[in-house]
Amino acid sequence: MIRFDNVSLTYDGQHRPALDSVSVEVEKGEFVFLVGASGSGKSTFLRLVLREVRPTSGRIYVAGKEIDRLASWKVPGLRRSIGTVFQDFRLLPNKTVTQNVAFALQVIGKPKSAIQKLVPEALEMVGLQGKGDRMPSELSGGEQQRVAIARAFVNRPILLIADEPTGNLDPTSSVGIMKLLDRVNRTGTTVIMGTHDSGVVDQMRKRVIELHAGAVVRDQARGVYGYQS
Amino acid sequence: MHMKYVVSEFGSGLRRNLSMTLAVIVTIWISLSLAGIGLLMQSQVSLFERYLGSQLEVKIVFCAKNSLTAKCVGGQATPEQEASVAETLAESPYVSRYRFETRAEAFRGYQVRSDSDSDQSLAGILDLKAADMSTAYWATLAHPDDNTELVKEVEDAAGVEQIVDLRERLAPLYEVLNLLKWLALGAAGLLVLAAILQVSNTIRLAAMARRKEIGIMRLVGASSLYIQLPFLLEILFAAVVGAALACGGVVLAMNTLVPWLHRHTASWPWIGWSEARPVLLQISVIAVLLAVIPTLLMTRKYLKV
Repeated sequence: MIRFDNVSLTYDGQHRPALDSVSVEVEKGEFVFLVGASGSGKSTFLRLVLREVRPTSGRIYVAGKEIDRLASWKVPGLRRSIGTVFQDFRLLPNKTVTQNVAFALQVIGKPKSAIQKLVPEALEMVGLQGKGDRMPSELSGGEQQRVAIARAFVNRPILLIADEPTGNLDPTSSVGIMKLLDRVNRTGTTVIMGTHDSGVVDQMRKRVIELHAGAVVRDQARGVYGYQS
Repeated sequence: MHMKYVVSEFGSGLRRNLSMTLAVIVTIWISLSLAGIGLLMQSQVSLFERYLGSQLEVKIVFCAKNSLTAKCVGGQATPEQEASVAETLAESPYVSRYRFETRAEAFRGYQVRSDSDSDQSLAGILDLKAADMSTAYWATLAHPDDNTELVKEVEDAAGVEQIVDLRERLAPLYEVLNLLKWLALGAAGLLVLAAILQVSNTIRLAAMARRKEIGIMRLVGASSLYIQLPFLLEILFAAVVGAALACGGVVLAMNTLVPWLHRHTASWPWIGWSEARPVLLQISVIAVLLAVIPTLLMTRKYLKV
């Protein structure tokens, strides 16, 4: 699903690379935690997968496409096959829950009939049926993150990227979100989640890739947050 | 593509940036009005030049009996020399028509000028007679701008003392008209620059106001065109309104000012709709370019996918 071949990235004006010769492969349908301290390169890794930035050197393949060489006009097509969830939810405050989820389909030109079918399905999947007319400000943090997951999942992506999705949530809500991401993963969607939350990583016992100063220092199947042999 | 979304974003963008949109409309209106004035003045100056050029003649003066210039050391021009110049004028592509002025005609002209001169003492002192006068050819140009070409053809001919180009007498008038034309075009240029900067600023502010939507649109895979279209429509709307107001100003001037000029200076040629119509087209094209080029550049910068 994802392959990084010796990927390095040094941001303009920086001397130290944000990612340093990273080679990683993630299989289709896997659930992978990306862990490491702030500034270790987790977000850069995720931004590279989304083609928000290009590597300074190395090759990146997503779903068989070499995305570092992808023409700019093909980038939207790539992103339609990837769902993204962020720590700060990134919902539009002036749109209802339904409108927020539908927005992701409207702006890529999905027909109205498809939107009317897919949006309630996505809301039901995240457990927000009946709350479609609420505004984001009327929802709890956990519910807002569920809306964000519904928006990321509504177009049935093959890959879901979550950058600190539990970072703003209390432990109970975090458990609910992790259950939801696990459910998304069980539909066949590959999930890569960058996190600082040791609790959820230790509880899920999924593959863990640890980054330190831009380099992969650990790649462990059924791993935990801190190193454990 | 969901045009409903694009249209609703365009509408909400206009409401959100109303003051900026109004500022863009006013700047485009004023700058295009000045550009229109400059272009109309350019047409007017050309019209004056053509009109006056067709009226003014080039005078080729032959050596007289008492000419003192170096070119006349051979004395009075011979009939052969005059015939040679006549032949040159007849063959010249720059001359539409020409006529010969005899010494007697030149003397009559001199007398008329002397009589109207307040200081007649010179005529009395010189005591000139017809035999003292120069013969000359008066040539009317086929094209007003060809005066220097014609001068080149005849100035070195034997027996020619000097060439008097009456166009040179009107040079200061042309200079003033040209200056006014360039001032209007220069001011228009500066205002067009201001309009470009204002369009760029408007795009930047609009992109800032919608950064959350744009961020989501980029992440979910909306195409660049889909993201850029509401911005482009918003600026295009401002440009069309600005251009319409500027064109309205030109139409108003053509319907009021030009007829007034016709009434008060009937003998002068004034621009008409044949000159104004291309100006209206030029203004409209400038307005569209003014809106589209900076918008595409700025949206590439701020809304890059």
